[in-house]
Amino acid sequence: MSIIGKRSTRVLIQGITGNAARLHTKNMLNYGTKIVAGVRPGGGGGEVHGVPVYDSVAQAIEKHPDINATILFVPPKGTKEAALEALNAGIKLVVMVAEHVPLHDNLEILEKGEKKGALVIGPNTPGLISPSEQTKLGFVPSQYFMPGPIGVASRSGTLTYEIVSRLTLNGIGQTTCIGVGGDPIVGTPFPRILHLFEKDSETKAVLLIGEIGGTREEEAAELIKARKITKPVFSYLVGRTAPEGQRVGHAGALIEGSRGTIESKLACFGEAGVRVAETPAEVVQIAKELLS
Amino acid sequence: MRLYEYEAKEIFQKHGLAIPKGQVVDSAEEARRFASQIGGPVVIKPQVLTKKRGKAGAIRFGSDPDQAFRESQLLLGMTLKEEKVSKLLVEEKVEIDKEFYVGMTIDYSFLRPVGITSRSGGVDIEEVAEEKPAMVKKVRFSISEGPTEEELEEQVSVFKGSEQESMREVIKKLYQIFTEYDAEMVEINPLAFTKHGEAMALDAFLNVDDDSLFRHSDLVKPRGMTPEEFEFVQSLKEKKWKYIEMDPDGEIGILSSGAGITMAILDMINMHGGRPANFLDTAQMNSEGIYKAFSLFADNRKLKVLLVNIFAGLNRCDDLAMGIKKYLQEHPLRMPLVVRMIGYREDEGKSILKEINVQTIRSLEDSVEKVIQIAKGAK
Repeated sequence: MSIIGKRSTRVLIQGITGNAARLHTKNMLNYGTKIVAGVRPGGGGGEVHGVPVYDSVAQAIEKHPDINATILFVPPKGTKEAALEALNAGIKLVVMVAEHVPLHDNLEILEKGEKKGALVIGPNTPGLISPSEQTKLGFVPSQYFMPGPIGVASRSGTLTYEIVSRLTLNGIGQTTCIGVGGDPIVGTPFPRILHLFEKDSETKAVLLIGEIGGTREEEAAELIKARKITKPVFSYLVGRTAPEGQRVGHAGALIEGSRGTIESKLACFGEAGVRVAETPAEVVQIAKELLS
Repeated sequence: MRLYEYEAKEIFQKHGLAIPKGQVVDSAEEARRFASQIGGPVVIKPQVLTKKRGKAGAIRFGSDPDQAFRESQLLLGMTLKEEKVSKLLVEEKVEIDKEFYVGMTIDYSFLRPVGITSRSGGVDIEEVAEEKPAMVKKVRFSISEGPTEEELEEQVSVFKGSEQESMREVIKKLYQIFTEYDAEMVEINPLAFTKHGEAMALDAFLNVDDDSLFRHSDLVKPRGMTPEEFEFVQSLKEKKWKYIEMDPDGEIGILSSGAGITMAILDMINMHGGRPANFLDTAQMNSEGIYKAFSLFADNRKLKVLLVNIFAGLNRCDDLAMGIKKYLQEHPLRMPLVVRMIGYREDEGKSILKEINVQTIRSLEDSVEKVIQIAKGAK
């Protein structure tokens, strides 16, 4: 099982003719993702790795009414237009990989997504992977993942690979691993993801790979304290030693005043009984204990 | 990108918000001339990006042109939080009746814009919100439609009688500015009601989202940087690189791919008593990229060791190893190098680096331990 990305997911790739999109379309197809169509305005009639290309989302849906997800391999400037096109066409799962999408564009996309009852993932995300469903949406390197009982949500791509590869090496597999995105505003932040994992019968424990900045870890802790989330949740947090007021990495990893500090996150997780690993190795240790 | 007060005020005025009569000057003589033109008392404000100029005693008054001259002279030599004062905004001193607060920003938890109003103006609104939350009104609204009539009603409910109608207009204009300029935050603090009952922006704060600057080319100018520095930062941005100098006395350089793992490495080094000096986080590395990345570190004379972390998921160890080899063959490195390498085509990468006598380490923990050892041993 998985929370998002299933064998039944039929995927559209917007911006499919770009170099990165071509490469990852191939990787996704090889992994097992069912990609049925691509869009490139002006590129209709073409093909990418056997996937037919259309001029617009509406045209693609007309030919492939089973499309129920889209991935935007579109530059940040064009992300708003492409996302709104997909949402207006009724697609309920939108993955936005671009970094540096303007904040206001992002707000508009998420507002539209909410109105349409769609799940918007990202921006600034490597996407997600559901190993037992042999489905990945985005560019997560699939060789480090395997099916199993852990749900993973992360604010960082590379750190996810680093951590999850260790779980996999130790025989601890995953239901779904999702990159929620490194921006301060993302469509499916930790609290929302926790609800999805809570409902999934295969997920036995949830790992949140968080970082300084924002208050999503704190909000997740609130849900756990209120017993709205009853599955064991554990975490690895980075940015413990980052200087205040400096964007160390992600735009979202910025501390302003007392908001988003490591102290605040550790305190909230502590109160909620969420165990926090200090090192990558400790993550594996905690996972083993929670599953035993 | 934060705008200077005078830039924000020009925008405010363009959108129909009243501002005091004023002029930007860069000499005390100009300030004197403007003050005599005004023919009354003036306020003199340094145009810097540092917040809380008032608390720093950097907002001065001139009751006559000569005093304006003297105060301007004083201010123009000042340095506020490492920012040298080179421009002043000289404004007519407005007779005010009362001071309010009004601002608009983004509520990151609710993913919506939020309007903020308060009768307490001219003070730190965060403090007011914390100490007397009832004094501050926050109303969230739709980004695409702006505040509705009901939301405006609620937003201005902290004000009294005829103030409400004026504030409603101010908020509508603020929303236009907020969206037109992709604001992270737009703020008038204080917003004053003059003795004549006119609402006027005495200060102006406007922070434009950096990622939207492609639509605001008119606002983009090199700020507080030499042209070379500005170009350097832009070139990193184009490559999607983030290079940050951390600690002038740091000893360890870090070249890594991805923000999260880079933060994890910084944490591990700090927790073990090491001192990172700078780091480069590259989004996607290839042989050419890593070659160029090396040149960013090579000139730093304080570095005692350089840690390169390669976790090849989408890229290839052998490709990156080729880039490192090429660089090292052309430029002998001044400092020891520790390469942590794992992932796709790892064995091939390892043997390429072996050819130039660079050993690789598989474990992240071991590589961190190693750089700390080297840094400490070099003391």
